[in-house]
Amino acid sequence: MNPETERTWIINGEKMSVTFPPGRRLLDVLREDLKLTGTKEGCGEGECGACTVIVDGELIVSCLLAAGQVPDGAEIMTVEGLEKTEGGRLLQASYVEKGAAQCGFCIPGMIMSSYHLLSRGEPLSQPIIREAHAGNICRCTGYEKIMEAVSAAAEHWPKSEAKS
Amino acid sequence: MQTKEITFKHVGQGIPRRDGDEKVRGLARYVDDLNIPDCWYGVAVRSPVAHGRLKTLRYDPAFDFDQVCVVTPEDIPGKNIVDMMGQDMPFLAHDLIRYRGEPLALVAAPTRQLAEQAAAHIQPDIDPLEPLYTLEEVIALHKTDRSKLDELSAQTIIKGSVDEGLAAADKVIEGEYWAGHQEQLYIEPQGMVAIPEKDGGVFLQGSLQCPYYIAPELIVTLGLPLEKIRVKQAAVGGAFGGKEEFPTLVAGYCALLAMKSGKPVKMVYDRCQDIRYSTKRHPAWMKYRVGLKNDGTITAIHVDFVLDGGAYTTLSPVVLYRGILHTTLGYNCEHVFVDGRVYRTHTFPDGAFRGFGAPQAIWGLESHMQECADALGMDAEVFRLKNYLRAGDKTGTGQVISAEMDPPAVMLETLKRSDFVNRRTLNTYGVPRDGKFFGVGVAFFGHGSGFTGDGEMRLQSKAALDLDWLPNGKPGVNIRISSTEMGQGTLTIMPQIAADGLKIPMACVDCPLPDTKYVPDSGPTVASRTAMVVGSTVYGAAEKMKALLEQYASDAFFGGHPCHLEDGVLTCSAVSQSQTFEDVARRLLEEKGMQRVVHQFKLPDTVVWDQKTFKGDSYPSYSWSANIVEVEIDALTLEIKLKKATSVWDIGRLMNPVLAKGQIEGGLTQALGYALMEKMGIRDGLFDADRMQTYVVPTSLDTPEFDIHFMEYPYPHAAPGAKGVGEIPMDGLAPAIANAIKAATGIRMNRIPITPESLWEAMPSTRKEIAS
Amino acid sequence: MSVSLRCVEASDLLLPGSLPEALAMMAEPEPPTPLAGGTDLMVQCEAGARKPPARLLSLKQLPELKGIDEADDTIRIGAGATHWQIRNHADVKVGLPGLVEAVSMVGGRQIQTMGTIGGSLANGSPAGDIAPYLLIADAVVEVASIEGTRQIPIRNFLIDYRKIDLKPNELIVAVTCKVLPEGAKEGWRKLGPRAAQAISKIMGNYRGKIVDGVIESFAVSLGSVAPTAIRLPEVEAFLVGKPLSEETIAEAERLASASVKPISDIRSTAEYRKWVAGRLVRGFLTSFTKGNEGSEGSEGCES
Repeated sequence: MNPETERTWIINGEKMSVTFPPGRRLLDVLREDLKLTGTKEGCGEGECGACTVIVDGELIVSCLLAAGQVPDGAEIMTVEGLEKTEGGRLLQASYVEKGAAQCGFCIPGMIMSSYHLLSRGEPLSQPIIREAHAGNICRCTGYEKIMEAVSAAAEHWPKSEAKS
Repeated sequence: MQTKEITFKHVGQGIPRRDGDEKVRGLARYVDDLNIPDCWYGVAVRSPVAHGRLKTLRYDPAFDFDQVCVVTPEDIPGKNIVDMMGQDMPFLAHDLIRYRGEPLALVAAPTRQLAEQAAAHIQPDIDPLEPLYTLEEVIALHKTDRSKLDELSAQTIIKGSVDEGLAAADKVIEGEYWAGHQEQLYIEPQGMVAIPEKDGGVFLQGSLQCPYYIAPELIVTLGLPLEKIRVKQAAVGGAFGGKEEFPTLVAGYCALLAMKSGKPVKMVYDRCQDIRYSTKRHPAWMKYRVGLKNDGTITAIHVDFVLDGGAYTTLSPVVLYRGILHTTLGYNCEHVFVDGRVYRTHTFPDGAFRGFGAPQAIWGLESHMQECADALGMDAEVFRLKNYLRAGDKTGTGQVISAEMDPPAVMLETLKRSDFVNRRTLNTYGVPRDGKFFGVGVAFFGHGSGFTGDGEMRLQSKAALDLDWLPNGKPGVNIRISSTEMGQGTLTIMPQIAADGLKIPMACVDCPLPDTKYVPDSGPTVASRTAMVVGSTVYGAAEKMKALLEQYASDAFFGGHPCHLEDGVLTCSAVSQSQTFEDVARRLLEEKGMQRVVHQFKLPDTVVWDQKTFKGDSYPSYSWSANIVEVEIDALTLEIKLKKATSVWDIGRLMNPVLAKGQIEGGLTQALGYALMEKMGIRDGLFDADRMQTYVVPTSLDTPEFDIHFMEYPYPHAAPGAKGVGEIPMDGLAPAIANAIKAATGIRMNRIPITPESLWEAMPSTRKEIAS
Repeated sequence: MSVSLRCVEASDLLLPGSLPEALAMMAEPEPPTPLAGGTDLMVQCEAGARKPPARLLSLKQLPELKGIDEADDTIRIGAGATHWQIRNHADVKVGLPGLVEAVSMVGGRQIQTMGTIGGSLANGSPAGDIAPYLLIADAVVEVASIEGTRQIPIRNFLIDYRKIDLKPNELIVAVTCKVLPEGAKEGWRKLGPRAAQAISKIMGNYRGKIVDGVIESFAVSLGSVAPTAIRLPEVEAFLVGKPLSEETIAEAERLASASVKPISDIRSTAEYRKWVAGRLVRGFLTSFTKGNEGSEGSEGCES
């Protein structure tokens, strides 16, 4: 067995230290060690996107990332951290209002893709919104209501949370 | 009960779903999110062969089995059977093995890793037998030597004399249609946890559709009385039928391990295990022979309908019944003969999946009806409208179509919305235009709502309403039903319905996830029955609760004068006074404690059904739809793209248009996968596409432009008048797409999924090119 | 709470701070397995297709592997550059437009963010999305060990099914591509079982120049039709100097189809792949007759 590694990360704005075998998937560190069970596992191989989180501004699937590869000081945002941001709250409200969540299991990952897209501040179009969510599989909604929710949130997106 | 006299305040509104907030915040607790102290992990020792006889299990003496808990058939307190139809499936195979991966023993350990290690140190000795894997092999034998097949179930539908009808025809059109396995692919895999209770019972919590399937089905195996098997639903991350009967197995595995070890035991399948070792949609083969007059009249419909049931009976007979009932549904014909059979193969037992036999049947029916129209040189809609059931006409089982619905109106509306007659002038019929083939296709279909025949009568579904203190500390009403929320919106529409029955604000109504400790049996959450049947039962209970409150308020506040509850206020006109619901409920609760009313669902007395002959009213009611699709095929590569899907739906009164539309968009997307993508073969007894990388479902870039409309013909015998919505979106897209592909290329594709590869094989011109 | 042991959890993870340090670790008698974005290795370990290595060497944090630099007529892309970086890089968009198209269809955005060009090459899959492009861009793969560096033309680097010219102590450091020459055009087409996030049934790239209706140069490559991504030398040799006529296109289509021997697998059939190989070549050539857009538009025509 490999030696344990210690990391201190800023998770959802809070400094957290955690010890784990460095090859452990970030998903397991989040769900099992840190009890952040909002992030889901749907396939374990990066296909479904339910475990999507944002690490240092990058959209990643936490099932394919060895947690030891995430350096000290990294900023990690999971679904639980969304409501700490104005844009996140806006997205959550929009998802609920438009009926974008059905069973809800893909949503913790899906909504992170939405947040990443909108906070990048890239010019939006329907094809871009669709493409930006192509890494998240939803089996319930047919994606329509998710696209509606993202489009609606984009219209009111806070300028302070749009980069570039 | 006359629905038209009732006015609704919440029903019919697009109220945001109740569980939306916790789901977008990551707070909803699915089974793997539950923090259960000292929880052990369970795994199964599975058979490495698909068919054979188990001689013995060898335990590696080098492994310390004392640190784990092993369950073998000898450890089962009751009988080693899964108490489903046929009772032919053991919980743990002990002699005959019928599918690869069949559990032979169970292991639990403090960690998943240790449990897996222990399982790997238990090796079975098996004498292998010759397996039968595919529907293709089954059909070859069905056509030549049926004695070599193991028939799990059979049923016919007979109306008139099909021979007479065929003899009277100017033309007889034949066709065979095939459909493959389909995986539900809910994003949350199967999972369950069993916690031993102090009284010797067991508490099960997990991802499940039907708490009252699991509890009674485990009585025989666990040797426990019903009241000692408590089942509670955790948040469910999608089900689509895949968590209907199957979770009984996982629940049983966990319960057996928990009872022996004395520890809570959890099993959560990973994706590969889930695809390999859980139920699929039944593969189906159909042969249609339809007699036609030159004027388009259908004189006879003869259907052979065969399902591959997999290794055990489970729900296959019911899937067969629902399948054959849809093989002729919608068409007016005096002479009908449907011969339905399910045969055993040595793959994982097939089971429930949204549509339950109907998507297979309608795939064949609507493909073949287009072939009939083409053979007569009639336009698709002209042929269908000539033959479609109208009020007063009789279905294949002799059920009279009631005047409360108008199937052809749904078709006419879809034709109009899709501009079908103009769009089809663009069909390319095999000659591409600007590098593309283009075609428009139609499918027109119905779907039975609720249990088959008088099943809803026999089920005696109950709903309870408890006047009680709600979690917010205020008095209110808890809806107690066994119907589950799996994404479709139960937790939202039931409070809408109850609030309207009670005439109180929705905020005063709660609908907790079901727990058999608190809820009566409202029947399973299946068969497009929840909104219609359980919704109506909740409405009936709400009316009773309203009467109870009015009676109490009259006595307690208004000196015995009658009062009336409306908009959350009880008003007594005799004394010109009023009290709020909250004040009345508070006093009632303080004085008498929790108040429960129970209501039981009833069908009208006029429903008559003969389960032996399959004659009579095969469903309480029907939903109807037409799908009209535009398909584009790249002439360079034969890639098929669904560009647009126009559809109109009569699903009765809409409970919540936002949720209903979500059901339809999602169902159509699953149907798109069924039609064009989702392909499974068998390799060494296992499904070859056993990962999400290989079992390919639609992404956000694959879905077409959806144009969805509703026409409301409420079901008049069960207020508030919903019919089924859950399954029907799965039914019609595949044949509509195949019909569009025919219009585009001139080629009839008779096997789904339809892929560029299968289209290439079917196109004579492409084969010539490669040969050259 | 049960603790599961998944994927590479039992593997040790080395985190060198620089390339020399990494190469020193690779020089040990039993070198560790390099881990870049994890989008292949982690999947293979999770799926049980590969035994988790005892030791992994993370490349993610190495600064030397990250750069994308333009020279005269080449662009050097660090092996650690992610698909997402490549896709959004201004110079790459101009100089290697076909590469931008190809990386834009690697998985979803998450996989593009994690996966690297070096990792894609090291995986050595015949269905990899990048190698066919590198073939038409005459790329050179730069590999390094403590003994020094080697520059290997991509067509020599891809040896056989999952076999590449990389010694156990070497790391892929960079890939240098020739930029699209003046007046030439390049493009790409990937066929998968769905519109996004798919492993290809077949994919192809081309780079060609047509002057006054005559083919001056034409490079074409295909993936998923052979044990490695391949160029189609017979097709290319046939095309040079020919007029861009239907006759030429038809013969190129026939030659392309005849020159590949694909297999059937879970994603497609040998017969279809063989046929569509020719069809892709037809589409690529036809794109020159339809104005100046890239080949991603499926501007095929039926003969």
